[in-house]
Amino acid sequence: MDFALSSEQALIKDSVERYVVDRSSAARGDDWKTFAALGWLGIGAPEEAGGFGGPVETLLLMEAFGRGLVAAPYLSQAVFAGSLLRHAGSIDRLQRLVDGAERFTVAYEEPRARYDPSLLETSATIDGSSYVLRGRKIRVLDAESAGTFLVSARSANGVTMLAVPREAAGVSVRERATEDGRSAADVRFEDVRVEADGLVGERGGGLEPLERALDCAIAALCAEALGVMSVMHEMTLEYLKARTQFGVAIGSFQALQHRMADMFVELELARSMAYVAALTLEGATGSAARKRGISGAKVQIARSGRFVGQNAIQLHGAIGMTEEYRLGGYFKRMTTLERLFGDADYHLARYVAS
Amino acid sequence: MDLAFSPQERAFRTEVREFIATHLPDEIRRKVRAGESLEKDDYVRWHRILFERGWVAPNWPKRYGGPGWDAVRRYIFNEEIAYGWAPRSIPFGLLMVGPIIIEFGDDAQRALHLPRILSGADWWCQGYSEPNAGSDLASLQMRAERHGENYVVNGTKTWITYAQFANWIFVLARTDPKAKKHEGISFLLVDMTSPGVSVRPIVTIDGGREINEVHLEEVVVPVANRVGAEGAGWTYAKFLLEHERTGTAGIARCRLQLAQLRELLERSRLDDPRIAERIATVEIELDALAYTELRTLAAESAGKRPGPESSILKLKGTQIQQALTELALDVAGPYADPAEDAATARAAPAYFNYRKTSIYAGSNEIQKNIIAKRILGL
Repeated sequence: MDFALSSEQALIKDSVERYVVDRSSAARGDDWKTFAALGWLGIGAPEEAGGFGGPVETLLLMEAFGRGLVAAPYLSQAVFAGSLLRHAGSIDRLQRLVDGAERFTVAYEEPRARYDPSLLETSATIDGSSYVLRGRKIRVLDAESAGTFLVSARSANGVTMLAVPREAAGVSVRERATEDGRSAADVRFEDVRVEADGLVGERGGGLEPLERALDCAIAALCAEALGVMSVMHEMTLEYLKARTQFGVAIGSFQALQHRMADMFVELELARSMAYVAALTLEGATGSAARKRGISGAKVQIARSGRFVGQNAIQLHGAIGMTEEYRLGGYFKRMTTLERLFGDADYHLARYVAS
Repeated sequence: MDLAFSPQERAFRTEVREFIATHLPDEIRRKVRAGESLEKDDYVRWHRILFERGWVAPNWPKRYGGPGWDAVRRYIFNEEIAYGWAPRSIPFGLLMVGPIIIEFGDDAQRALHLPRILSGADWWCQGYSEPNAGSDLASLQMRAERHGENYVVNGTKTWITYAQFANWIFVLARTDPKAKKHEGISFLLVDMTSPGVSVRPIVTIDGGREINEVHLEEVVVPVANRVGAEGAGWTYAKFLLEHERTGTAGIARCRLQLAQLRELLERSRLDDPRIAERIATVEIELDALAYTELRTLAAESAGKRPGPESSILKLKGTQIQQALTELALDVAGPYADPAEDAATARAAPAYFNYRKTSIYAGSNEIQKNIIAKRILGL
């Protein structure tokens, strides 16, 4: 029974936190090269691909990124894509990801699937030794900086994952800003020819690694949300102590104290469930237990995050509504995280079913 | 970060589990499982069985008869008590007055009371609340006037759980009416067989008879029965609040209630996704709270004082307990009728009874005040 960090974990935590602080005081160059140099792109990857660590290390990094509102595409390109390559056994690609030589993003979500990765209209038809890919993906995260899409498609014998260069003929990318000011894209694949070496994992065996990778990404998301929520909670607490009305600090009013206590409870429950998510992945206890642990965490995180965020704005009053005050950025990020990879309703149903 | 128990801890769990399985009388197990109220004899019988084994006072120091367990073993023990459908120990002697006497009492008090608490010879009850002193406990009015080597005590204590079974009561009484509110209060041990002590039952909305009003009229209490210094009683009462935080959430018992709820669901052939999602919602919160409790436990076994997360346990734990009784009521639906089905018959009384949980031991609003003031610094 031990929630303490190992000395290696403490080192990572320290270096990530330092990065986040430095970054906010001075603009830096290409973060991705920095991440590769620091080894962060290899967190969770096997040693043969140059990786180290696992879900707890990811949690530490993502919590700090959440606190610093770091917009680098780490969640999408390192955690999600990296986990997919790992679980699909695509070690060469993973090696390139870890080195920073190639950048991937996962294109799995479809307009009519409502978060369910198994509901696919995109198809991969076999034509000789290659595939012809046809379909449309939405909300492909951080597509602008990714050279390769990892695309899920229905094929004759199940779900097949294909690696498709963004420059391939027939690929069209429409970038759009997400509600939190980051980027995602709608991507169309119109009879895109993918050679046999573009297969990621087993033909027809793509759903399992995709689901596992999504669960890894959700655990990382929970940690980021924890960081985001912590900052919103702290900012609100400071504000309640500093802001005076009727001649006293507004934090002396019981209505606000109780709201703040409720926010604190939600934050601590969210913290517990972010740990549960990481430890669930570490425990690797079969797919039903994994889905249950991850979905339970996502439900708690989404609900706590919404509660903490909404009340942070409310307790700040009008200043919380302004674009220039930094609370809004956290609130908007939390709003994205609540729904990314499945909202509370989706994961509640998945929890019940598993 | 590792949430696994060590091989020694797992072996300890097995030992406790087997002991409970083989030593808990069937009739008591049946009553606890059915949610029936227990008689004094049931409690005392189980208390003596644990006493014989040396396990009755898990959090007492070894030299006073505790088993010498660390925080993790105490946690495991309490979990197994719940999972084995054994009665919870009645806290007033073992968890409340015992530790206070150990910490602040004198040798004579220790020698007299501790062995009798351990053996179950005495049944203690707690005299804190008064008709006009609830959340504002320090405004209590019970008077203890000094006459030589005795106090003469007058006043009324209320909401006293199991006073009808008790032969001793510990009270907070005002020994100095001129002192400031929190000062001038003393902690007294009162023999309930003394002349002038009377107990009046209070029936609760579930029809239960757990709580009582206790009147003290011209009751003579030797000064030797005062614990610690005169006027320092408030400090001792507060000491309890900071003692032993884990276990208050009742998580293991909640898990069993969830399992019972599922059985009920199957029997009533209720296949409703809305109910399934409501149950899942409570279960997820229960998981979150269970890990919050483990974080508290890990901090405690690392030698840290209970961290801020521990104050959540009472607040959220009671909310979950109440949500479960509410769900059971709704799942039982039209069958929540004593004449129809013994299992569903408990649903409504349990729901009524559990309204108390957010009121007792410092109402949940008081808990929020504590979080706001002590943890958040507001």
